[in-house]
Amino acid sequence: METDLLIIGGGPAGLHAALTADRAGARVVVADESFSLGGQLRQQTQWLSNLPGQYGYGKKRGTWVNEQLINQVGASNVQVLKKHTMIGSYLNGNIGVSDGDKTFEIQSRKNIIAPGAQEEAKVFPGWTLPGVMTAGAAQILINREKVLPGKRAVMVGSNDFSLEVARQLNSCGITVEAIVEEKNQIICSDGELVKTLENVPVYTNSTIEIVTGAGEVEHVVIQTPDGLKEVNVDLVCIANGFSPILEPFEIMNCHFVYQKELGGWLAAYNIHLQTTNPSCYIAGNAAGITDFGSILLTGEIAALSALEAMGFISSAEGTEQKSRCWRELANLESEKVLQARTEMLADYHQKHELDLPDYFMKIKGGKMYG
Amino acid sequence: MDKSTIVCRCEEINVDEIETAMKNGAETFDDIKRLTRCGMGPCQSKTCLNPVREIIAEYTGKPLADIRISRMRMPLKLVRMSALTNGSEGGNVASVFGESVEDGETNDE
Repeated sequence: METDLLIIGGGPAGLHAALTADRAGARVVVADESFSLGGQLRQQTQWLSNLPGQYGYGKKRGTWVNEQLINQVGASNVQVLKKHTMIGSYLNGNIGVSDGDKTFEIQSRKNIIAPGAQEEAKVFPGWTLPGVMTAGAAQILINREKVLPGKRAVMVGSNDFSLEVARQLNSCGITVEAIVEEKNQIICSDGELVKTLENVPVYTNSTIEIVTGAGEVEHVVIQTPDGLKEVNVDLVCIANGFSPILEPFEIMNCHFVYQKELGGWLAAYNIHLQTTNPSCYIAGNAAGITDFGSILLTGEIAALSALEAMGFISSAEGTEQKSRCWRELANLESEKVLQARTEMLADYHQKHELDLPDYFMKIKGGKMYG
Repeated sequence: MDKSTIVCRCEEINVDEIETAMKNGAETFDDIKRLTRCGMGPCQSKTCLNPVREIIAEYTGKPLADIRISRMRMPLKLVRMSALTNGSEGGNVASVFGESVEDGETNDE
């Protein structure tokens, strides 16, 4: 198979990148391992704020954004390969995908690798018992599979995502018996969300001592500053944050950097979202854990860079469009993440002796307006 | 934490086995992997990578930024041998994929 642009991962970043490249006239192939496009956006039923301007003002449900992306891809010339997994690369640099029956190479001029992030496990005695799962897994069960993962739950972690899932579990009739946070306060920055859970006991400075049960979760012991608390539940959700997926980048010989605020180790990239492998661009949560608006914009920047490199758009147009995307991203991304991202970019450009475009100084180090 | 707590669920490797590997000289995730099979199961260390890195950091007193990730190899996901060979020239797995990074080489920036 042959194409101009191959995109690995049909989540929000990959689909947004595909649409950007399709509009400029490039031939685009999107390969995704799932039977359905959308990635983790598929089960984000909550309202998302801070979306790029083209999604209109005000909050939109994640599932609505997902439908928009899928409908637009369906109406475009983008070729979609569902149930196709990237399993490696060939010596000539082409990416190899498998549909479970056969393996073949896709010859592309440029690649955008947008595999997303994975949820981090948390190790405590009993974490391998059935009934212990990540918050994201519980969210897939209720929103995608319409299956209740339990009746009474403990949520481990109090970041934005864990409290959102706790709220969703609650609204499905699952009683959240406790939120356990090892830090000294709730991490979630969304006051309204915290308020929806005000009846749930929160244990800060606390950890899971042990989870027990006969073949499944029955009993949880929480180590708190006031001693041990015990609860009888059948579900323990772990929300220990996300980390960028790395494997496809290593196979493509991309170099890695460590940046704690972006989720730990990740493939290094420049302001064009290009990795150390010049034919591979990066987008989405793989390029640093962030919000859905920034995920979409990194997809757009990666696509614009690939289009510029292939000659589908002029260098002047590429610079203008990317400048617009970065300005928008700088306005909606959290300050902490943006700062980590711009620090990483500055280091990369210095190390590789690459010039930074003029607009970089405008996005660096914090929010800019106008 | 109880030293018998499982860390790598695919290969059922517990905290004690990881610490024992480090007492025997293991310094990296890959050292621990070679001594214990930690991270060599179906998930290929996708789940235990960071929990093991945290144990290494705690044991050695090094910051997490200094604890490297595991070496990742093809195939990236579980795949049947027949899917690797179907439709490919040469008809054997070695001809389908050549390792693209030499052994021992790291991808550090």
